Amino acid sequence: MAGEQVVRAEGIQKSFERRIVLNDLSLSVAQGQLYGLAGSNGAGKTTLIRTLCGILRPDKGEAHLLGWRMPSSRVRSQLGYMPQDFAVYEDLTVLQNLEFFGGLYELRRSQIRGRADELLDLVQLSDRKKQRVGTLSGGMRRRVSLAISLLHKPRLIFLDEPTAGVDPKLRRTLWNDFNRLASEDVTLIVTTHMVEEVLRCHVVGFLSAGRLLTEGTPEEILSETQTSNLDDAFIVLQERGEAKR
Amino acid sequence: MKTFAVARNVLRRVINDVRTLALIVILPLFFVLLYGNSFSGSYRDLTIVLVNQDNGLASVRTAEVGRITLDVGLAKAFTDALDREMFDVVEIEDPDEAAARVQEPDVWAALVFPRPFSNAVVNEAVRASGERRVIVDGDTVTLLPSDPIEAPLTRLVIDDGNPLIASAIRGAFNEAFAEVLASQQSSVTAETLLEVEALYGGAIRMLDFTAPGIIGFAMTLITVMLTAMAVVRERTSGTLTRILIAPISAWQVTLGYTLAFSLIGIFQAAELFLASQILFDIRFIGNPGVAALIIILFTVGLQGIATLISTLAKNEAQAMQFVLFLLIPSLMVSGVFWPLETMPPTIRPLSYVSPLTYANSSLRKVMLMGGGVGDIRLELAVLGAFALVMLALSVLSMRRQGYTA
Repeated sequence: MAGEQVVRAEGIQKSFERRIVLNDLSLSVAQGQLYGLAGSNGAGKTTLIRTLCGILRPDKGEAHLLGWRMPSSRVRSQLGYMPQDFAVYEDLTVLQNLEFFGGLYELRRSQIRGRADELLDLVQLSDRKKQRVGTLSGGMRRRVSLAISLLHKPRLIFLDEPTAGVDPKLRRTLWNDFNRLASEDVTLIVTTHMVEEVLRCHVVGFLSAGRLLTEGTPEEILSETQTSNLDDAFIVLQERGEAKR
Repeated sequence: MKTFAVARNVLRRVINDVRTLALIVILPLFFVLLYGNSFSGSYRDLTIVLVNQDNGLASVRTAEVGRITLDVGLAKAFTDALDREMFDVVEIEDPDEAAARVQEPDVWAALVFPRPFSNAVVNEAVRASGERRVIVDGDTVTLLPSDPIEAPLTRLVIDDGNPLIASAIRGAFNEAFAEVLASQQSSVTAETLLEVEALYGGAIRMLDFTAPGIIGFAMTLITVMLTAMAVVRERTSGTLTRILIAPISAWQVTLGYTLAFSLIGIFQAAELFLASQILFDIRFIGNPGVAALIIILFTVGLQGIATLISTLAKNEAQAMQFVLFLLIPSLMVSGVFWPLETMPPTIRPLSYVSPLTYANSSLRKVMLMGGGVGDIRLELAVLGAFALVMLALSVLSMRRQGYTA
């Protein structure tokens, strides 16, 4: 499964108003991997995703996506990004949102319609296609946002908290689908603050106070921390990290 | 107590928002200073052309020595009585050239004194007052009324394209005439001496005069507010970042915005023009295509201002405050209500950097005076440059907002 490195970050440092948010952070993700980035609130997950995507410029270090040093416009058409905010037009319908973003990726109208049907089926919003997004619940808006990020069949997808506010049944469906996409050689980096969720990932990174506490398969992390679940493993690693500092 | 808690919370939030706080403190003071300074009420440096054919002499019958000739030089006295801060007087010889020069943008009036001006005024004064005793070369003589003199009237050609200035000029001329006539103890009024020829036949009302500026301001307010709010919302909702991650350049995003809001702007302008014509019969004698060209350039520039405002504003409320902070002063300094000529030199630079000044001036020329592209070259050049610069700044601003949201 492990192919070429499609994400490579080295020595990333990022501060906001003198507060260090990412501290000398390095990671790499291979093609077709489902990489779970877990951490508590404020750990730096969103900042890391935004830095990798080229939205933020690191103070130090560099990030490469699909072989291009970021920020680069060359990877945009192959990149999928679902921000933590909904980032959808509330005054447009679900379908109109998909049509607009599909147009930015130069998808033809018929292609967009086809993809919209598939994706709305996936996020269980087929019956809401013509409903204005502003009238949907928070969880539903997040699902619209997820559908938008998958619309153009990107090779590399960053999903920032895609399952927050989503009910357990749908959450399971979504994780199944993330795994399916990874099996099709799509690379996914998924953040979550619900640590146990990343059990379904190929590789897991635990982030705390802007540092990567550990990286490995869930099994490797459980074995290293001598714990039976990832929640406990995270707490052990966090305490170790604090003790070191 | 709960009411106080709510009030305290609102005030605390305002105090914590430094930009809002600064606007609350500075805005009223800024408006008062600007209003007080922008409308000084006095006009400066209005160019008028004067042809003085008056020989200055008055031939009057006397009871003692028959006819005598008095050297009174009344046209010169009139010229001397003019307020030199208000007028730049250009004296020339040819009456026809003087009348023609009023067509020039900087010349406001031409006044042609006929050769027997002094003679007519003095004899008219004596006729109106009956016999009059005056001292000539140390001797007292009695001036006698003579038959009315058929003298040509003083010709005043005035540019009434700006009714405020035209009215101020006529007021100043009347004052100067009154001074001259008072020196002759004449009961004649200035109006009876003048043959007035208004360039636009008095057809331009105050309503017509202010309409182009008000239309320009309405467009500015609506367009800038809509665009600034839309961009702020795009940024704060995260959609701008999402757009800029897609394979689309900041240029394309900016142009898309400009295109959409320009269409809205043009629609609004058409609505404003039509409604003002149908409801208030506002004068529009120019080419609508030329007016549309002005509107397009102006609107494109306004998009840029709006995008820059959205860069500064953290949220929609702040964007609204910035819009008011910029736009209300522009209404005061752009010659919409009172002419630029009344503004003190300290304020005029603000007029020259306000795009509304050029939109107002060019729309006025097209709507009120039937001007074509050739008459508004300067305004079109400034509005075009403004549109290009603002478009370029918008791209930078859009990129910055997308990547720092």
